[in-house]
Amino acid sequence: MNPHVTRRAMLKRLVVGAGGAAVANFGGLFNSQTIADEVRRSGKRCILLWANGGASQIDTFDMKPGQPTAGPFRPINTNLAGLQICEYLPRMARHADKLAVIRSMHTSEPDHPGGIYLMHTGYRPAVAVSHPELGAMTAKYCGSLDSDLPDFIRMGSTGNGGAGYLGPLYQPFGLDRNGRLSQFASSGSTPEAVRRRADLLRFVEESSAREHRAEPFQAHRLAQERAWRLQRTRNVFNIDQEWARARERYGDTGFGRNCFMARKLIEAGVAFVEVGQENYDSHADNFVCHKANMNILDPAWSGLLDDLHERGLLRNTLMIWMGEVGRTPGINNRVGRDHFVRGWTVVLAGGGVRGGTVYGATNPNGNGVRDNPVTEGDLFATIYTALGINPRVRHFVGTRPIWATPEGARVVREVLA
Amino acid sequence: MRLRPCAMVGLMALVAGPALLAAQEPPLRQRIDAELRAAWQREKLTPAPRADDAAFLRRIYLDLAGTIPSYEEAKQFLADTDADRRTKLIDKLLADPRFAAHQAQVWDLVFFGRNPPNGDATRKRDGFRKWLAEQFAKEVSYDRWVRGLLLAEEGDTGLFYVQYRSRIEETTVAVSRIFMGTQLQCARCHDHPYEPVTQRDFYGMAGFFARLTFSENAGGKQRRYTVGEKSTGEVLFSGSAKEQRPGKKGDPVKPKFLGGPPLDEPPLPKDFKEPKAPAKPLFSRKEKFVAWLTAPDNPYFTKAVANRVWAQFMGRGQVHPVDDLSDKNTPTHPELFQAMTRALAEHKRDLKWFIREIVNTDAYQLASTGKDADPLPPYYERARVRPLSAEEMVAALREGTGTNAANRLAGKPAPEGATSEYMARYFGEPTNGRGDFQASLQAHLFMNNSGNIRQMLYQRKGSLSDELAKSKAPWPDKVDRLFLTVLTRLPRPEERERFVAFLTSEPRADQLIQDAIWALVNCAEFRFNH
Repeated sequence: MNPHVTRRAMLKRLVVGAGGAAVANFGGLFNSQTIADEVRRSGKRCILLWANGGASQIDTFDMKPGQPTAGPFRPINTNLAGLQICEYLPRMARHADKLAVIRSMHTSEPDHPGGIYLMHTGYRPAVAVSHPELGAMTAKYCGSLDSDLPDFIRMGSTGNGGAGYLGPLYQPFGLDRNGRLSQFASSGSTPEAVRRRADLLRFVEESSAREHRAEPFQAHRLAQERAWRLQRTRNVFNIDQEWARARERYGDTGFGRNCFMARKLIEAGVAFVEVGQENYDSHADNFVCHKANMNILDPAWSGLLDDLHERGLLRNTLMIWMGEVGRTPGINNRVGRDHFVRGWTVVLAGGGVRGGTVYGATNPNGNGVRDNPVTEGDLFATIYTALGINPRVRHFVGTRPIWATPEGARVVREVLA
Repeated sequence: MRLRPCAMVGLMALVAGPALLAAQEPPLRQRIDAELRAAWQREKLTPAPRADDAAFLRRIYLDLAGTIPSYEEAKQFLADTDADRRTKLIDKLLADPRFAAHQAQVWDLVFFGRNPPNGDATRKRDGFRKWLAEQFAKEVSYDRWVRGLLLAEEGDTGLFYVQYRSRIEETTVAVSRIFMGTQLQCARCHDHPYEPVTQRDFYGMAGFFARLTFSENAGGKQRRYTVGEKSTGEVLFSGSAKEQRPGKKGDPVKPKFLGGPPLDEPPLPKDFKEPKAPAKPLFSRKEKFVAWLTAPDNPYFTKAVANRVWAQFMGRGQVHPVDDLSDKNTPTHPELFQAMTRALAEHKRDLKWFIREIVNTDAYQLASTGKDADPLPPYYERARVRPLSAEEMVAALREGTGTNAANRLAGKPAPEGATSEYMARYFGEPTNGRGDFQASLQAHLFMNNSGNIRQMLYQRKGSLSDELAKSKAPWPDKVDRLFLTVLTRLPRPEERERFVAFLTSEPRADQLIQDAIWALVNCAEFRFNH
């Protein structure tokens, strides 16, 4: 018998959960893609704050006072004994006990497109396989296709990998620059007209469903229902009134507003939200750039942490702050810092994370990792573990098995709760 | 012990000789149906009934011409009472220029996928597709056009190699996967874990491509590539991935045919110096490889294409997936697989002949409806259900909304904006890694709400909404026309009744007509070839 028939037959009876355990499937499943959806959900969520261009570790969370490359920013104490961070992150300094700072990132793609892909998928770009982004993987294993909202929503400059081999069900859903629903999300017709033609389409589907029962027909009909459900959620995206009150907490910036939107979406049950912040690629005027960026980042990030915490959402929401690269300790002749991948910083917080942790260290001048290097694969294995996703969960591209993280990736248990 | 299929083919050919066998055997289409029926009996499966004429009509148009029939074509065929009407329609479509263009589109996707590497060079492939379409239009046999493609000396054929350029490992994986149905990528870094393919076999194959060169002539829109070949250059093999060390260079590996002998290569003349831009090498490895690949006795070539083309029309390869013809992955119908591979070889690998045999079978012409939800029944007891490709969606939308008809009347096409690009983005890869269909939210939002689709529904002289709005025919007749134009079938009685009620629910029907077309182009029945 054809082994692939066996596989399909097996999938119909068994649902293999993220943890690798087999769960009996009693529902009348129509489609193998939806099997993941039937797996018991962990309730985990994830927010990625993306520092597009690559933030400077020395000017934020891995300061080197006294070194020739230290730059003009001063370190300040945090609420975690022994941890100092940049003076322009004063509000975050009060949240240090919630953070796990990984200071020993050693990654393998020093430029933007490759680095953006790498730090969204855990893999270097490859010709033969397109890997899914973290958001797509989270959508698959933590999302719910029954939800009115997409499971993977993003704003601003973000990833370039999309859903990869996981397929269109887990494709990122982009909001426009202002965090509003983008083109095609609405027909522009009156609700009455929309309902009228929707009723007609539903009638056609019901009529044809009696004859056409193959899985793809059903998948199509469900996706159509999802498109309509999205229309019902329009008010989730309408935050103008609430923003008037929240802007003080998040800072009155576009990024702050998008972070507030992220909170609304997480609260509404979205599994993964990514918010991009621009302008970190400071090959010139590094300190001007970073000061301005931190003035935006500090209230937005800390406001989001406060907000999630107060609502009891932080427990189940993993927050990640990272970009595609770090920046050189050396300051170039344009007062800039260039790309650097041999010792940089990523910060985790919230669900699954052991707050108040500093993991790994760069050497005194910041020119490399001194202790406990963490690769992109290690980071992704750690992130997936925090989200309750098996880092070795396996998918197939054609006949070829692909794992969620590269072979040999190590979970950094020290930063996990 | 059962002989493996490839060994059998060779053996039979030796014993009997192709001409003799051809004279004794019934047409392939009969053999296919007999073998499938035997398997249904064995597996206790009840086949679906024969598809009705309307279902057959839509399916054969999409499969052979890449679009749905026009209203007139549909009306004409459904009124035809000739007992041979299906066979005649098949012959007509196989001779239609749309057949060649559609096959070119299908194979172009096989060669490049939706996101080929080296995108700057490979994004524009009109010339490549044109060359492919010419091969189908001129009925060039498969082995001959593959030879042309891999020699890469005419037209834009070089683009196939250009996507990988000097990454010859990728070239090796692609060539063996596509033309030999063989998965070599595992053996790139280590000996294959489950197959008798070693890393040395992989680099032996890679050696054939090691000397390809690429030169770019002209830039911008005129950019063309010339693929050349040097007389020197070797693949270096430095052991398994585990044994890699920085600075370790590796040993040169001589080219070796997969499962065959090493290449017999004359030594280079003493003191040979590679010219700067070699047009032709002293000895071409590429030519030797292509000759070996396309030879009648190549153990991989013919069965790989037989399986691929079978799957194109029947949904699932007898070996599935189509590019994994290993000993572990046995065909569902081993005798049939041998028979069709042999027959295709005897017919000089004429794909049009092969396609004609397949679509004339009873099995191809079964209904796709039934209780079972599997879109690709492994025993072919129902017709397969597959999504329309992005290109087929665009073509079917243009036909089904009367955009083609309106364009003909206007003498020029209406501006389309980025419809094709959007469709490729949202409908281009509607599957997970395993080929199972997935529907995306964005695809639905685009179909539901975009101006690109909406403008196809507008009243323009000759468009479907215009024809329906202006027609003086009674409403039930207009609803018949609507269904026949968009879904290539007449409405069921309850559908006719509901649509008449809908279209007459307001004094002015113009917007309602557009809504009714909208509902039909958005329904699942339109989305799939079934």
